[in-house]
Amino acid sequence: MTPFLEVTDIDIAYPPKRVVEGVSFKMAEAAIGCLLGPSGCGKTTLLRAIAGFEPVQRGLIWLEGVELSRPHWTLPPEQRRIGMMFQDLALFPHLTVADNVAFGLRSWKAAERWARVHELLNVVGLDEYAQRYPHQISGGQQQRVALARALAPRPRLLLLDEPFSSLDVALREDLAHEIRAILLREGIGGLLVSHDQFEAFAFADQIGVLNQGRLLQWDSAYNLYHRPADHFVADFIGQGVFLPGRMGEGSRVCTELGDIDGIPPAGCAPGDPVEVLVRPDDVTHDDSSPLMAEVVERAFRGAEFLYTLKLDSGARLLCLAASHHNHQAGQRIGIRLEIDHLVVFQRALGAMNEA
Amino acid sequence: MPLKRPSVQWPWHGLLALILLGLAIGLWVATKRVNYEWRWARVPQYFFYQAEDTQAAPVAGTINKINPNGAYSQVDITPANGGQAVSLTVETDTLKVKIGDPVAEGDGIGAQRHWKIGPLSWGLWVTIWISFVSGLIGLFIGLITGLCRLSPNPALRGLAVFYIELIRGTPLLVQIFIFYFFIGTVLNLDRIVAGIGALALFVGAYTAEIIRAGIQSIAKGQTEAARSLGMTAAQTMTHIVLPQALKRVLPPLAGQFISLIKDSSLVSVIAITDLTKSGREIITSSFATFEIWFTVALLYLVVTSLLSQLLFWLERRFARSD
Ligand SMILES: Nc1ncnc2c1ncn2[C@@H]1O[C@H](COP(=O)(O)OP(=O)(O)O)[C@@H](O)[C@H]1O
Ligand SMILES: [Mg+2]
Repeated sequence: MTPFLEVTDIDIAYPPKRVVEGVSFKMAEAAIGCLLGPSGCGKTTLLRAIAGFEPVQRGLIWLEGVELSRPHWTLPPEQRRIGMMFQDLALFPHLTVADNVAFGLRSWKAAERWARVHELLNVVGLDEYAQRYPHQISGGQQQRVALARALAPRPRLLLLDEPFSSLDVALREDLAHEIRAILLREGIGGLLVSHDQFEAFAFADQIGVLNQGRLLQWDSAYNLYHRPADHFVADFIGQGVFLPGRMGEGSRVCTELGDIDGIPPAGCAPGDPVEVLVRPDDVTHDDSSPLMAEVVERAFRGAEFLYTLKLDSGARLLCLAASHHNHQAGQRIGIRLEIDHLVVFQRALGAMNEA
Repeated sequence: MPLKRPSVQWPWHGLLALILLGLAIGLWVATKRVNYEWRWARVPQYFFYQAEDTQAAPVAGTINKINPNGAYSQVDITPANGGQAVSLTVETDTLKVKIGDPVAEGDGIGAQRHWKIGPLSWGLWVTIWISFVSGLIGLFIGLITGLCRLSPNPALRGLAVFYIELIRGTPLLVQIFIFYFFIGTVLNLDRIVAGIGALALFVGAYTAEIIRAGIQSIAKGQTEAARSLGMTAAQTMTHIVLPQALKRVLPPLAGQFISLIKDSSLVSVIAITDLTKSGREIITSSFATFEIWFTVALLYLVVTSLLSQLLFWLERRFARSD
């Protein structure tokens, strides 16, 4: 893969506060990625630096082999050919839908311009609203206009800053899928910013998890879930609990649920305190199992129950069980561990004291 | 929302009428006490009056014929030294001669009357056009200054701040004097030009602040969206920010213009015959001091409230397109 977008070790600050620190990642041409992280972690700032609205204090941003940003030098946004869909959409209220979409095509010939506008309005299903003003259409329709407007000049890359956050959850994933399909069809790469992992999964092939200005892992959704790089990623993506244990001989980890085989984290000696990530789907309900846990809470999920279990030591576990296994809180049930991807982290001293 | 109770309005309207009536009576009593004699009948002539143009005989001779034709009469004079008869038209009721009368050259035969614009109307017109021209120039100055005020260039920004503070920190009357006696003398300016210049600079500083606030009220996202669609900073300003900002600042701008009409009365101090100066001049000849000042005030009031109405109507129209 020759990288298309290349972000190398960048720092961004709102002086004196450093908001993004040492972030690096690469994206291939027409690839679709996502920056995922809790609110306030610096996602928008990072995206704005790629768009050219914030300077970088350190590091480089390249696109198609051309330098866009380095310390003390920022290529103006209008020269980057990077489209952006803003968190608040920022449609132009004094222009019609068609004029909004045509706005980035001012240097095009009139005939080509209007052909492109109608092509895009058709793509987003708004051709009949061309002459309306932004305040005369619904929120979801405004999102589509913002998308069409950003795509019209055929940018090399489209940046999307939580564009779905104002929509209700049901609509979010649909629109994320839809925009993904449009981007793939147009052959335009996309980089989404989101705090919602399901939105990220629906949209992106590659996801970067950010926390407090640092990029913790840049990987596929599958790997983020099954091979999280650290405690934060494991905690942030999906559900699960950390079961305390100790490194045993070789690659064994000793926990109160028995010994588990796995790859120990680098620099771990036998006897070191560790924690094992246990996802709800790693724990199976088995009436014949000698291992017992008490049901503390349960949530009905249709096909399944999500049980919260308490082990004898007081540690909690989550367990997904088919919904015909109907157990009441307080009941003790048999469980079995079936961990395909063992994730073990070294336990910090603080964490050990808590356990 | 609080519950609406049907409230009785008419006692309050009654009270209002009573208070206004009281004020009117007070005014009447006050003028009675200074023995002021009201001469309202003198006022209308200062709006429009009939001027009489005396028609004089161009040559010496005899009145040969008078041909009455309704309000006008045609008078023919046969010149004493022979030659072609001369004819004049005068208004019949001003006729001073009979057939056969001898006339010398320059003798009055009669008069023609026509309506002329009086000093009050003329002064009102001067006030309006001076305000309009200086308002227009001021708008231009304000637009440029407002943009400079927001410029990233410290020199432009500093100049704009200096100008705005200078104008807003000194009285308009003093500015007019300085403009007329200092700048006007140095550059050899006509008093009208000096007056318009002073007013334009004055209103420009206030307009600049209005425009700056208008531009700053447009969300930053609008600029960024335009930039990411390939517009330069300057194009973004003219195509995205200014159209929205100007629409938003129209009401305060119009308010500023209405103020300007009132403030323009100060140019009367440099002998520009605007509405206020006309009033002062009329008073020296008519002695109808109270009537004239009341009339002048009323004229300002009529102009400004007509503009307010227009503004109100415009605002509602714009509000609809939002
Ligand atoms: N213009 C700004 N000036 C100063 N601090 C800012 C500015 N914008 C954002 N920040 C701070 O930078 C941090 C990251 O913000 P942001 O990138 O918007 O986070 P996110 O988009 O992930 O929610 C936050 O702590 C925020 O308070
Ligand atoms: Mg954000």
